[in-house]
This record gives sequence, structure tokens and C-alpha cells, in this order.
Amino acid sequence: MRILRYIGRRFLFIGPQLFGIILVSFLLVKLIPGDPAVMMLGPFATEQQIAMLNVEMGLDGTIVDQFWIYLQNLVQGDLGTSWQTTKPVFDDLAIRFPATLELITLSLLLALLIGIPLGVAAAYFKRSIVKKFSDYYGLLAGSLPDFWLGLILIYLFYTIMQVAPAPLGRIDFAVLPPPPVTNFLIIDSLIAGNWQALWSTLGHLVLPVITLAVINAGPILKMTQATMERMLESDLIRYAEMCGLPKTTVIRKAFRNSLPSVVTIVSVLYGFLIGGAVLVEIVFSWGGAGQYAVQGVLNADINPVLGFVLFSAILSLIIYLLVDLIYFAIDPRIRG
Amino acid sequence: MAAAKMTVAVEAGAPGSAMLDIAGLNVSYPVYEEEPVRAVQDLDLSVRPGEIVGLVGESGSGKTTLARAVMGLLTQPGRIDDGSIRFDGKDMRALSENQLRAIRGRDIAMVIPNPRSELDPLIPVGKQIAAVARAHLDIGRAEADEMALDMLKAVHIPDPTRRFRAFPHELSGGMAQRVVMAISLVCSPKFVISDDATSGLDVTVQAQVLDLLRTLVREHDTSMLFITRDIGITAHFCDRVAVIYRGEIVEFAETASFFDNPQHPYSVMLLAAFAHNPALRNKWHKPLASTEAVAGRACQYAPRCVHREDACDERHPDLRELGARHHVRCHFPVERVA
Repeated sequence: MRILRYIGRRFLFIGPQLFGIILVSFLLVKLIPGDPAVMMLGPFATEQQIAMLNVEMGLDGTIVDQFWIYLQNLVQGDLGTSWQTTKPVFDDLAIRFPATLELITLSLLLALLIGIPLGVAAAYFKRSIVKKFSDYYGLLAGSLPDFWLGLILIYLFYTIMQVAPAPLGRIDFAVLPPPPVTNFLIIDSLIAGNWQALWSTLGHLVLPVITLAVINAGPILKMTQATMERMLESDLIRYAEMCGLPKTTVIRKAFRNSLPSVVTIVSVLYGFLIGGAVLVEIVFSWGGAGQYAVQGVLNADINPVLGFVLFSAILSLIIYLLVDLIYFAIDPRIRG
Repeated sequence: MAAAKMTVAVEAGAPGSAMLDIAGLNVSYPVYEEEPVRAVQDLDLSVRPGEIVGLVGESGSGKTTLARAVMGLLTQPGRIDDGSIRFDGKDMRALSENQLRAIRGRDIAMVIPNPRSELDPLIPVGKQIAAVARAHLDIGRAEADEMALDMLKAVHIPDPTRRFRAFPHELSGGMAQRVVMAISLVCSPKFVISDDATSGLDVTVQAQVLDLLRTLVREHDTSMLFITRDIGITAHFCDRVAVIYRGEIVEFAETASFFDNPQHPYSVMLLAAFAHNPALRNKWHKPLASTEAVAGRACQYAPRCVHREDACDERHPDLRELGARHHVRCHFPVERVA
């Protein structure tokens, strides 16, 4: 019951939170130099043409007027149009966000599979090779740029060994994509029963997922290791040892008690990667949300940028809500 | 003097029949680029079957280190330099980690202070008791749960069926302490080490918990090493009392003999402090005296001793038997406390 009340209270705050985010990002985006009318009309446009286009796009009023127009459209579900793609931003993001989410969700799952076992082992076997390896891994993963690793992987597995598909998007050009339902290609191909598309999608995911996972396993490993080390020294675990509990039970106990901080780091990474995966998206021509936003910033195309910020904000709120629900599930002290 | 006069029948066990026999034990903690800290020094201590021995000392005197050494669980970087620990005829120092793990919680159980931070916050307390039972006894889940419930009843926890499913944070300090006792006694161990177990409780709750612990231990004919900072408790609780100062036993005697005629100035000081008699306390207490380790061969207690003489700085006193099984480590034992 307490949890329902908690969720209800969280939802009450979502409106004001979103408004604040839109306001701040609108003002910040407006500060970026660049005139969309100039960009759109090209070098041979006359002053008059530019002024007319500005009026047409509603860019002639004050910033307050512009914000008001944006809000009015937003309430009707209209995020504006991108002049680059000439499509409504909402439709663009509906394709690009799932592309990014599919990528980073799988990457983080793999990163967990790498980071947690290594972190636990490094914390438990203090003077072992595993510990050394983990230390170096943490250092390396923290210092390598992800796009560089992506390029190396492409060079190795696509250029030289030719086992990976070309780094050109989410699916082979030759393969007919499944009819869009969720725009998550894995889910859509499963719905359509299109195994060829599924296979191609998975194939295209392998290298970017490995790239992001290998890099992001670093912080997960470090967090797991640090928390586990502290936990293994805690009164709780000392007492478990005094009670003569089996080694595996003791490790499991320490891990369960370390879980909240692992969940925290994963949620932080997830929120970060929505935009932070952009370099890897570019390397693999992924057509993801981050790439879309960066293109918008570079070309004074502000609607995609604002749309991206809004989508990310909503997603982050959802993630943090999920994290809180997970805390509820694992810790009876919060459940109360 | 608040010493209670009580006589407790102690079986005069043969020398080899001790449940726990510690001889010449030295434990030290290496310190980087300095002399290691000697936490336990040349310590001899034996506990006979069914006997409760009190070990009294202030913080840092080596009580907990001793308990951990017995369990084979010294905290890093502590190590046993020398000496033997025999438990129930077995040489504990020769056992493997797996053999030790089979003994911990099964044959030697530990009752610990502040159970709130030592119990697992994520697991219902009943399950925690059952987990220890299952780790050591060849029983199934249902049977272990039943034993756990029985233990909760045995330690007088009100509404045990409901408390079985309670999490540690839902229990009061006294109840959590009872749960810890239930965990330590669920496998009917031969030996219990109570390490300052009730220090975190209110005095009234403390008395109840101690009574219960004593009753349960006596019922099962379990031996116990009762480590405490409170010398008053030992008078009612223990068959023999040992006083430890800076890792050394300074006095070890049967309870009646100890409280009738304490012979080490430190023991007298502790008793005086406990007696709440300002005149007596001032007479035996040297304020602002150094509690640091004494270099060389001097008596460790010399800097704080009100009876210090030249010999105390020159020779380290041995533990001598003065009177029937009354051992004292002092050149000038106290004759009569006035």
C-alpha cells in the first residue's frame, strides 16, 4: 500500500518536473548561435526571404511568444517538424528512440554480465589474478573512448575477418524490415515471425553492443567491487562467518546487500547512455536518438533537440521510478 | 565492596579435560614501519566443560582479539605468533578453513553485541536462525524452520510465529539480542563465546537477557567464555573470573575468591570503580595515567598503578598462583582491600 502512495506522489511531480525541463532546455537551445532560416534557404537567400520564413516558422516574436507557441503545440502532441528530415519530430523520435534503447539496453545487460562476476570475484579473491585483471580492466575501460573501440572492432571483425555485417545501420539493406509496431526491430521481427530480419538485426547489434558493454562494464565492475569489498569487511559478513555459514552463502549474502549500489550505477549509466552512446551510434550509422539530436544542434534545427530532451527526460523519470521500485523489492527497510 | 558472596561448585577437572585450553598465546597486529601491536601476550586460559569463565577488561585490552583468535577469524592483518588453542581436544590452529567453518556456529558459537548491524537486514530473522541450523545439521528446510521457531520460543520472544517473519529492523534491541542468542544456541554448541553481548542494552533488559543466556547455557551444560567490560556482571554470572590488561591476564581466580580477595591493583581499581564509592575509587585510581603500552620489561600496569615500586619498572611480573587456584600477575599483590 505504501508503495502505491509513493508512486502516486511521484506522478504528481512529473508535470512540474517536465515543465521545468522544457523551459530550461528551450532557453538553452535558443542560446545556441545559428539561424535556421539562413540554414534552410542557403547562401543565395535574400533578406526578405529570410524574414518571411522566420514569420512563417513563428520565429519573429519574442522568446516568450515562441515558448508559448511551442507549449501550445506540445499539449496537442506536436513536437514541431525537423527541417532536415522534413518529418514531424515525434515520428522521427518514435523510430530513433527505440533504436537507441534497443542498443543500450542490450549493452547494459551484457555489461552487467561482465562487470558483476568480475567485481564480486575481485572483491572476494583479494590477492588473485582476477583482482589484478579487474584493476587493469577498470583502468582501461575508464580511459578508452568507446568510438575508438568500435572502430577497432569494425576493423577486426568486418574489414579483416569479415564475420560481422557492415556497420551501416540496424539491418541489412537487402533484408525487408518487419512492419513497424514498436520500432524495436527485435520485437517487431518476432511479432512478424520474420526470422531473416531477426537474424540480421541481431547480427548488426553484436559489434555496437560489445563496444558499449565492454566500456560500460568498467564502472559496474568498480562499483560492484568497491561495495562488495566493504560488505565483506562488514559486521554482517563477519557474523555470518562466525556462524560457520558456507562460503557461497556468505558471498551471496554480501552481494544481496551490495545490490542497491549496483542498481544505482546501472540506472545512472542508462540515463547517461541515451545521449552518451551517440559516438558509437555515429560509428555504426545507427540512426539513433543521440545522433538525431546532435544533427539538430549542428544545423540549428531546434525541434529535434527539444524533442530529444523531452523524450530523455520522460525516460529518465521512468527509469528512476523503476529503480525505486527495485529498491522496494530488495530492501525490506524501505518497504517499512 | 559490592562483591557478592557466592559459592559455585566447580568440578575439578583433570588437566587434559578442558573444553577450551589456550596456552602461551601471542597475537599481534603488524603496523607499517613500526613495532607490531601485541594484542594478546603469553595468554593462558582454560575453560572446563560446563563452566562459565568471565573475562573482564577495558576497551583495547585484547578481549575481542582473543575471541576472534579462538574462532580462527582474526581481522586482517592480525596473526597468531605463538601458542596453542585446543578446543575439545582438537588443535584449532592445525585445522583447515573448512574444518574451522564446520566448528564455527556448530560447536563454538558467538553471541555478539549490537545485533542490529550484524543480523542480515534483508532476511527475516527466523530464516536466519534456520540458515545456521541447516548449514551445520543434516536437516531439511521445514525441519530447520521448526527448530528456528522452537529457538525463538526458547529465548522468550513474544509472539514467535509472527516474529519469525520479522526483519531485524522491526525488532527492539533486546529482541534482536535474543535472536542472536537463538542463532548461537540453535545447534546446541559445546562452547559459547559471549563478546560484550549485552553492552548495547538498557540495564533492565540486560539483566533479563543475561539471566536467559545463563539459564540456557546451564541447561545444555554448555561452557562459556563471557567477555565483558562490566566486572559487576561477572560476580553473579561466572564460575571463574579472569582480568585482562593490555593483552595479559593479570588475575584469574574462582569468582568467590576473586571478589573476596582481589589481589591485583587493576582488579581492585575496577571493583572500586564499580562500587560507586568515591573515596575508594580515588584511592585506587590514578587519573591521567598513561594507558599506552610499556616498553621493555616493566610491568604493563606500572604507569597506572598506585602501588608502583622500583621493581615494577625493572622486572616483568609472572602470573603466580597465590592461594587456591588464584593467579595474580603482580610483584606486590594487594593483601587486603581497605
